[in-house]
Amino acid sequence: MPLAPQVIEELRRVVGKDHVVDGADDLRIFERDASIEGAVPDVVVLPANTQQVSDVIKVAARHGIPVVPRGAGTGLSGGAVTIRGGIALQVTRMRRILEIDPVAQTALVEPGVVNQELSLAAAPHHLFYAPDPSSQKACTIGGNAAENSGGPHCLYYGVTTNHVLGMEVVLADGSVHWVGGDAPDRVGLDLCGVLVGSEGTLCAITRIKVRLLRTPPSIATLLAAFPTIDTASQAVSAVIGSGIVPAALEMMDQVTVGAVEAHYRAGYPTDAGAVLLVEVDGIQESTRELTVAIRDVLSKNQGYAMREAQTAAERDLLWAGRKGAIGALGRIKPNYYLHDGVVPRSRLPQVLSAVGEIGEHYKLPVANVFHAGDGNLHPNILFDMRDGDVLHQVEEAGEEMLRAVVELGGALSGEHGIGLEKNAYMPWIFSPDDLDSMHRVKDTLDPGGILNPGKIFPDASRKHVRLAGRTGFAVEAKWW
Amino acid sequence: MVVTNVAVLKPRSADELANILREAAEDGKAVTPVGGGRAATMGGLLERCDVELHTTGLDRVIEHTASDMVVTVEAGIQVEALQEHLARSGQFLPLDPFNSPGHTVGGLLASGWTGPLRLRYGSARDFLIGIRVALPDGKLASAGGRVVKNVSGYDLMKLHGGALGSLGVIVAASFKVFPRPLRDVTVESHDGWVAVAHVFSLPMAPAALELFSDGRVIARYFGSSDAVDVTVRATGWAETDGTVWREHSRSALTQWARIATPRDALRRVIESLPQGARWWCSPGVGVAHWSFGDAEELVRVRKTAEAAGGSLVLMAAPDDVKQKVGAWGTPPPTLDVMRRLKDAFDPDHVLNPGRFVV
Repeated sequence: MPLAPQVIEELRRVVGKDHVVDGADDLRIFERDASIEGAVPDVVVLPANTQQVSDVIKVAARHGIPVVPRGAGTGLSGGAVTIRGGIALQVTRMRRILEIDPVAQTALVEPGVVNQELSLAAAPHHLFYAPDPSSQKACTIGGNAAENSGGPHCLYYGVTTNHVLGMEVVLADGSVHWVGGDAPDRVGLDLCGVLVGSEGTLCAITRIKVRLLRTPPSIATLLAAFPTIDTASQAVSAVIGSGIVPAALEMMDQVTVGAVEAHYRAGYPTDAGAVLLVEVDGIQESTRELTVAIRDVLSKNQGYAMREAQTAAERDLLWAGRKGAIGALGRIKPNYYLHDGVVPRSRLPQVLSAVGEIGEHYKLPVANVFHAGDGNLHPNILFDMRDGDVLHQVEEAGEEMLRAVVELGGALSGEHGIGLEKNAYMPWIFSPDDLDSMHRVKDTLDPGGILNPGKIFPDASRKHVRLAGRTGFAVEAKWW
Repeated sequence: MVVTNVAVLKPRSADELANILREAAEDGKAVTPVGGGRAATMGGLLERCDVELHTTGLDRVIEHTASDMVVTVEAGIQVEALQEHLARSGQFLPLDPFNSPGHTVGGLLASGWTGPLRLRYGSARDFLIGIRVALPDGKLASAGGRVVKNVSGYDLMKLHGGALGSLGVIVAASFKVFPRPLRDVTVESHDGWVAVAHVFSLPMAPAALELFSDGRVIARYFGSSDAVDVTVRATGWAETDGTVWREHSRSALTQWARIATPRDALRRVIESLPQGARWWCSPGVGVAHWSFGDAEELVRVRKTAEAAGGSLVLMAAPDDVKQKVGAWGTPPPTLDVMRRLKDAFDPDHVLNPGRFVV
């Protein structure tokens, strides 16, 4: 149902007429994020500051209209999709780095600041911002905070929530609050910790205070080939079991390596069943010693063709291959569906073999490129949207893969969020009482249900995919 | 506190605990969750206590898969017992709270107490990956899971961590565990802040560093042998026995307060403490513990800490001091939001009434 003209008028008064988008063609641009399902918003509003965000939300609250905060739209779980219509709150005009404090090692940014831009701005102070999603050239810090994003280097450094010190947020009634802050051990409930990762369902984020880390003086990046995914998985466990937690420990399967090599010529061994990219950082004495130790563990676990980046350019090339892997998969098929399950690390061989079988069953190519050290897999189901009923097959295959993840004691999402994509599966891992306790937070902070409705929690009004409708599963999957 | 006949109950299972909690809530009885009792002195004076609900009957390791580096335990297990279990696999949790030994995992999570290793590993907040909580309506609600990286659902680990049992009683928790460091060396200096500044200027940061009011500094380096050795040489400090950390973790005072400020403000606040005051601090974290004298001192120092963007909370204090100055200081501006969350989880305010901020 289109919004009443008077609502559009009120929004124009708040942000100025140039910053309200309501033409049918223009709205299509905001239909999607980087996931599969889209929905066109009724209106897009681009506020310039906190006051405007607050006023927009007050308008929405008054009229009971959904509001969906949106950064760069690179999310992979439909978090920024206006599935119930309403207002897309596009925050990319708020993109100033307000402060970098080299002494306190913190930065204060607006939500539209691009992830990589923050690290670039901090670099002259020998500081960096640790969470590094593969989309870091485009994704925003606001979106990262809303989704609690990860990235390859989160193995050692932790995910977004470990780096957010405080936020300025606008709640569903338009009120503006600071949660968290520079000092540790703040008095009262840890609201900041609850709001990070709440996927736009509890608040809109208008400022973020993050921790910056000292740039490590030395970085060693090592590439190793393995005959199979299984042997590579064993090697991952062996490295961690040896007492070393690398900064990053990434795996790519043969399908991925083939596509990446054709695209980037990074020198990845295309004959290998799987490739590991291992990185350690710290002072030179540490990286040198750890590299020797890791090489030893890898070769004892059938690693071969090991290659260490000799220059910063070589290192960048190795990482370009990893971070650009999903784009390179376009050489195989034009579309992909990227999943994000996490399993206990020792279950990687089992889950990857299940993923392979599911792909074969549906006759869909699957490329795996993922954060092996964390047990966070990313199977990419490759397809061509133009092939008849393929999307349905892709969804079913994806669902079966997630099912395999959960059956092995895993979780639905490691870093992409639940959003629209996986909310139907939440009862697989959470009991009704678990979900009820999460709902208490939602109902307390957004009693009118206007903030990003239809996300995270199972949505009875939407189609149930095949397996999602199964009951009784949460009990058997319970992890206590 | 009005002392009535306090029922002391020690359930053996989470279900039993949840039932006790529900029945107490239905009867309008006030419940104080108790773990190891090591942080029992924290917080405001209880308005009522009808039931002491002990978690120490829940002391099992539920699951520890060493190769996954994840452990799930019942909340009543003592930190030392858990560490002993993990040590058999060459692993540990960087939990080293003051007033040890005897903290339970649940009590530690609820109190939010930390220790020196927080410098390197963060607080439990940073490696707690799953939680299970009994709520006053008798429900057992979980959040998170047992995988090291997880964004499935709201992060309610953050909601209950540090809430001092005001929203529910933690009955179980999952943690990401860590491999024991390849090398672990402790060094010592007596040069106070100068020594601290020197160490933080080195390229490798210590895993822990504690400064004491008498000018003594102890630092601990974790890492590869070469890296630790070269850094230890660069400190120029004397190596000392690692058992100093165990001694230090026993630190607790009959009346003490925790000062937390932004890191770069800590020294200024500490320098405002009365002449001859006894304190110790983690300069790299922004936390200090201080043996305060009287209420007037407390009020003055709290003002300084709060003006620096920090806080001063009482760890242990005589009742009249608590009454006079309050355990927590100026309430946060988001108090109203916190109160609404309290009402959503504990509508009849049966949990720890009067003790926490909400």
